[in-house]
Amino acid sequence: MFQELIQQIMNGLVLGSTYALIGLGLTIIYGILGIVNWAHGELYMLGAFAGLFFVVNLHLPFVVGLVASMAVMAVFGVLLERLVFRPLRSAHEMNMIIGTLGISIFLMNAAIVLFSPNPMRFPTEFSSQYLSFFGISITTQRLLVFCVTILLIGLFHYVIKYTSIGKAMRACEQNPDAARLMGININQVAMVTCAIGSALAAAAGTLVGPVFLVSPPMGLMVIAKVFAVVILGGMGNVAGAIWAAFILGLAESLTAGFVSSYYKDVVTFVILISVLVFKPQGLFGKSQIEKV
Amino acid sequence: MDSMGKIVWVKRAGVALVIIFALFLPNMVRSYYLHIAVLSLLNALLALGLNCIAGYAGQLSLAQAAFFGIGSYTVALCMLNLSMSFWLAAPLGILLAVVVAVGFGLPTLRLKGPYFVISTLGFGEIVRLLFLNWESVTRGANGLPGIPAPDAINIGFAVLTFDTKVGCYYLILTVMLLLLVIYRNMTDSRIGRALKAIHSDQVAAEVMGINLTFYKVFAFAWAAGISGLAGALYAGYVRFISPDTFTIGEAINILIMTVLGGMGTITGPILGAVAITYLLETMRVFAEYRMIIYGLLMFLMIVYMPGGLAGAFSLLGKVLRRRLFAGKGDGSAGDTTREEA
Repeated sequence: MFQELIQQIMNGLVLGSTYALIGLGLTIIYGILGIVNWAHGELYMLGAFAGLFFVVNLHLPFVVGLVASMAVMAVFGVLLERLVFRPLRSAHEMNMIIGTLGISIFLMNAAIVLFSPNPMRFPTEFSSQYLSFFGISITTQRLLVFCVTILLIGLFHYVIKYTSIGKAMRACEQNPDAARLMGININQVAMVTCAIGSALAAAAGTLVGPVFLVSPPMGLMVIAKVFAVVILGGMGNVAGAIWAAFILGLAESLTAGFVSSYYKDVVTFVILISVLVFKPQGLFGKSQIEKV
Repeated sequence: MDSMGKIVWVKRAGVALVIIFALFLPNMVRSYYLHIAVLSLLNALLALGLNCIAGYAGQLSLAQAAFFGIGSYTVALCMLNLSMSFWLAAPLGILLAVVVAVGFGLPTLRLKGPYFVISTLGFGEIVRLLFLNWESVTRGANGLPGIPAPDAINIGFAVLTFDTKVGCYYLILTVMLLLLVIYRNMTDSRIGRALKAIHSDQVAAEVMGINLTFYKVFAFAWAAGISGLAGALYAGYVRFISPDTFTIGEAINILIMTVLGGMGTITGPILGAVAITYLLETMRVFAEYRMIIYGLLMFLMIVYMPGGLAGAFSLLGKVLRRRLFAGKGDGSAGDTTREEA
């Protein structure tokens, strides 16, 4: 019972790390660009395939492959901002969602054609190593997911808080017009935001690809959950998204372990809808009056 | 007759031609194409449903496949377990879809921004998992086979039966035409205008005294009711249903049809549904390539041509009209300027 509990908590932390890394990008893109990016799950999927390519096909060490995948996807994020988000920025909110949903369908099916629809295994040097304690054994890869996630969150926090581009990003989030008047290049900030968001999603893909399997529909499967995370945390709220990611990850794996694995997805959405009904600003969002 | 009058008559003649073509279709094509025609009509109903909430009220819903499923499962279960007549089960299916939509829409449609879309996504997933896992009632992934055809109706001089493809085609076509009359009247009424106002600016609409929640929930209930109707007809036509039909993928297909056809119009969703269903059925081999193109088209359309195909056609019509009337006498030139004003 106790071992089962620890095992499920470990699973929950891995899931939570995935949701946190993807949700972080989604929430800053919404906060700074005002774009609801439905294609964000595809960045996670493409990141996993990039990692698979670097580690399995080019035989690079896993950590090098992780960094390379993040770098490639950062460039992809910049392209996405230029070609997709910029034309959508002034669109009606619903059209924004439809537009990015179109891009998501496009990327997923392009991946199916390029990489085949079958799930692929992504073995790394860490996925066959086991750590055992108190009769529980977990792969080093799972531990690595959690540790690298914490590291990346720390790095992200440093960039946002202490660098000049981070300061510019916060300014754009608070008031884009005032930021522009202060001489901040809005387009540059938008590009950096997308590069960071995309790299974080790629990190998530490369980290958990070896734990689960890599397949083109993986982005679509995760994006609904990540939206739930971002909403629970309060749209645009970074710290809230991280807390919500781990809460949902744990709720999901504990339900799968102790209630029924059929209903683990239901739990997420029931939590989401009840939070929306009773506390629409999210669990960690501040209630605010919108000025017109 | 001035040019405005002429345009109205051209439009009416076009509609009449399409209806006549639809009426004689079973005599002209093979059984396989009739099947595609039935599916096109059902998809057109679904697209028209989504159009109520997305095209008119400006609130994207990804739960349309779930309401489609609620209609289907209600009809199938009532007919199989309670041996109810189709003609009683179908209204029940529609009613249940509407009641669920009102119950779900009342809290969630008050929210602004992307929250509504995400909660409809979650709702659609919950409904699908319910169909899949509530095995004692829905038989889970095995689905429900052996749904009886709608009962025959005796109209005095003839008996109408619905156990053939042709019978079902005429049934669905009749329902569609009746619905279109109501649909058109609704969109041209006070309700339609209120929804368009909400679409273009919620705050301005609220200031004008439009009750946002009431009209949005109304549109959502309509959308769900039409999808439930499509579900009921689908169960009566295909006679086998399973959870695979009512997925998020189906909701996205409905969205693609509506967006490519043209949101916020009546011809658009029908046009989109017919075109996409035809391509979907005849080009199954190229499934992935097709979805790549649809995805990209959806993005390009929404950015550069939000009116969709219907919008493109009406634009083309306008350009042609200007060309045609530009060369004529001053009278028609005056008409053109009046139209633009």
